[in-house]
Amino acid sequence: MRNRSLSFWLFLTPVILSLSIVLIIPFIYGLIYSFTNWNGMVATEFLGLKNYVALFKDQEFLASLWFTTKFALVSVILLNFLGLGLALLVTRKMKTSSFMRTVFFMPNLIGGLILGFIWQFIFINVFGSLGDLLGVEALTGWLSTTATGFWGLVILTSWQMAGYIMVIYIAYLENVPRDLLEASEIDGASSFQRFKNVIFPLVAPAFTVSMFLTLSNSFQIYDQNLSLTDGGPFNSTQMVAMSIVKKAFTENKMAYAQSQAVIFFLIVAGVAITQVYYNKKREVDL
Amino acid sequence: MKRNKVFIGIISLLLVSVLALAGCSSKDDANKEKDNGKTTGDQVTVDIFQFKVEIKDQLEALVKVYEDENPNVKINVKTVGGGNDYGATLKTTFSSGEEPAIFNIGGPSDVEEYKDYLVDMSDTESAKIALEGTLDTVTQGEEVLGLPFNQEGYGLIYNKRVFEEAGINPDEIVSFADLEKAVESLDSQKEALGIDAVFALAGKEKWVIGNHLANIFFAPEFNNDPMQAYEATTIAFEKSDELKRHLDLEAKYSVQPVLSLDYSQQVEQLFSLEKVAMIQQGNWVFNSIYDMDPELAENNIGLLPVPVEGYEGKIPAGVPMYWGVNGNKDDAVVQASKDFLDWMYTSEAGKTAVLEEFKFVPAYEGYDAEQISDPLSQTIYEYASEGETIYGWVYPAAPTGWSENVLGAAMQKYLSGDATWEEIIDDSRSKWEVERQ
Repeated sequence: MRNRSLSFWLFLTPVILSLSIVLIIPFIYGLIYSFTNWNGMVATEFLGLKNYVALFKDQEFLASLWFTTKFALVSVILLNFLGLGLALLVTRKMKTSSFMRTVFFMPNLIGGLILGFIWQFIFINVFGSLGDLLGVEALTGWLSTTATGFWGLVILTSWQMAGYIMVIYIAYLENVPRDLLEASEIDGASSFQRFKNVIFPLVAPAFTVSMFLTLSNSFQIYDQNLSLTDGGPFNSTQMVAMSIVKKAFTENKMAYAQSQAVIFFLIVAGVAITQVYYNKKREVDL
Repeated sequence: MKRNKVFIGIISLLLVSVLALAGCSSKDDANKEKDNGKTTGDQVTVDIFQFKVEIKDQLEALVKVYEDENPNVKINVKTVGGGNDYGATLKTTFSSGEEPAIFNIGGPSDVEEYKDYLVDMSDTESAKIALEGTLDTVTQGEEVLGLPFNQEGYGLIYNKRVFEEAGINPDEIVSFADLEKAVESLDSQKEALGIDAVFALAGKEKWVIGNHLANIFFAPEFNNDPMQAYEATTIAFEKSDELKRHLDLEAKYSVQPVLSLDYSQQVEQLFSLEKVAMIQQGNWVFNSIYDMDPELAENNIGLLPVPVEGYEGKIPAGVPMYWGVNGNKDDAVVQASKDFLDWMYTSEAGKTAVLEEFKFVPAYEGYDAEQISDPLSQTIYEYASEGETIYGWVYPAAPTGWSENVLGAAMQKYLSGDATWEEIIDDSRSKWEVERQ
């Protein structure tokens, strides 16, 4: 790192250039605009913190923030649970394990927008007709209430992301040294003890990565939200990303939406950094 | 080692220069296009940026005809679909300086925003023959800042066969009581008629309830004048009880659950397959129904007005979008743009294309109603020519996003049972007031 020659910077130039053009400069612009009354074309007035004050009184924004937090919490737990479960399942010595890996990973290859429409059909039509057929009231009317909309989103995301998280866990599970497992077996550890005391601490780095991915992903979900519920009914299943897009492009309040985005960025960054910090602490070195 | 470093240095320099060159070349392209926007010799280039995906191919074909007739004019058509995407993209083209010569504007808030760019079109032929009332929202003083695209109208689209079999004469449905009676009668014969329910109310689509349905009932308090609504600091909701009554009727006799019922289910799955007797929609659904069942679309559907006290038998028609011409361009380009729009709406070739290819309900005088191909559009043009339409699409003049995101969402909340009618009306009113402070 100390050896920063000319070529070091030259090699970095393309990356730094493109990063600053598409990320850093727009970010700074956005930050500045969030203090003005920018409407997408011109900013005529410097408003200071007015946008930010209004934002904390905006019921719609706070509701979407709360909804997103709930969603992130549930889906992070569920995703890691499912991912690890699937990974444990397919790392067993089974004939079908590589086939099953492919199958579990498959949903991740379909775009979120399309998945949303597919699941919309499943929730509304398939669930609906099953419900009618079996006389189960709970299966009808999915996505028409806030609760079913919420769980619909959770199911969709879990189904899509679980395979991806599984792959990460598989990588770490396969790296657990065999001799440690054998030693614990000789010492008379039951399979649960082996999982809890040997495997679990050794795959802790995978938790750091997976939790980070699922957390940041669940916070930023937009396409699934758009195609599955579109925020409905009555904007009660609207996540923050969607609320920002709507403010900016349908209500034309660009600067205000920008200030929402800044706050949202701070929250996601804060949560993610805290999570990584705590998870890192728990990792063990061999 | 040293040699290696020099070598690496050279390679990275090359890499950077490739990048820089790539940047340059695209700039050149941009410059070239800009030059095209101006007049080069006698050649005039007009860039059209429009939103209606449905007419993309047809418009391009029409442009070709015009170019053949006027060899010195070159027209580029760019189409970006969907209401939201169009607005955002248009904004980007303006802020990046690659603005089009002809573009689309919606309600008064768009006019306000692009006022500095829009030129006066009152000298065009089309502006003179535009149907009365259609220019209201784009007129500022003496200046006409846009030309209407087309007209659209909506109401209750019904299935003629089902009505006939149920023994209901649609002409007799005038007041709300008539409608209620017809609905109840249809409901009692559901099984015999082979329908699932009387209505399919697309409660998932906020625009169906928040924009369209609500508009019929709050337009009268602004005298059906969008400009009045645009300047109003509050909304009284004088007819909110009537709105509630109508919404309740549609929701009660609709296929359930209404809140997850979307546009495609409403039009394609339910109405086109004759599972419901009526839907509240407009003439734009014709093509969807036609794709599903041409026979039904051509012969068996009709349009009924939504009954409103004091405005019985009238259909709310409106102009969804206007053509605007960009005054930042050269005079020659502006003139060529006006000429093209004029030609499209006044020449024989243009008129035929507008009616038969675009399938528009024209917003201009002098079109032959017989030539309009679909029954819904025909009904609307007839109503319009007889003065039986209300030119009151007031909702685009509400605070931006209000009718859909505030009122539409509130109506969904009411339908879900999470709020009472009074609560949502008060809430929507206060949000209107906040926006118009």
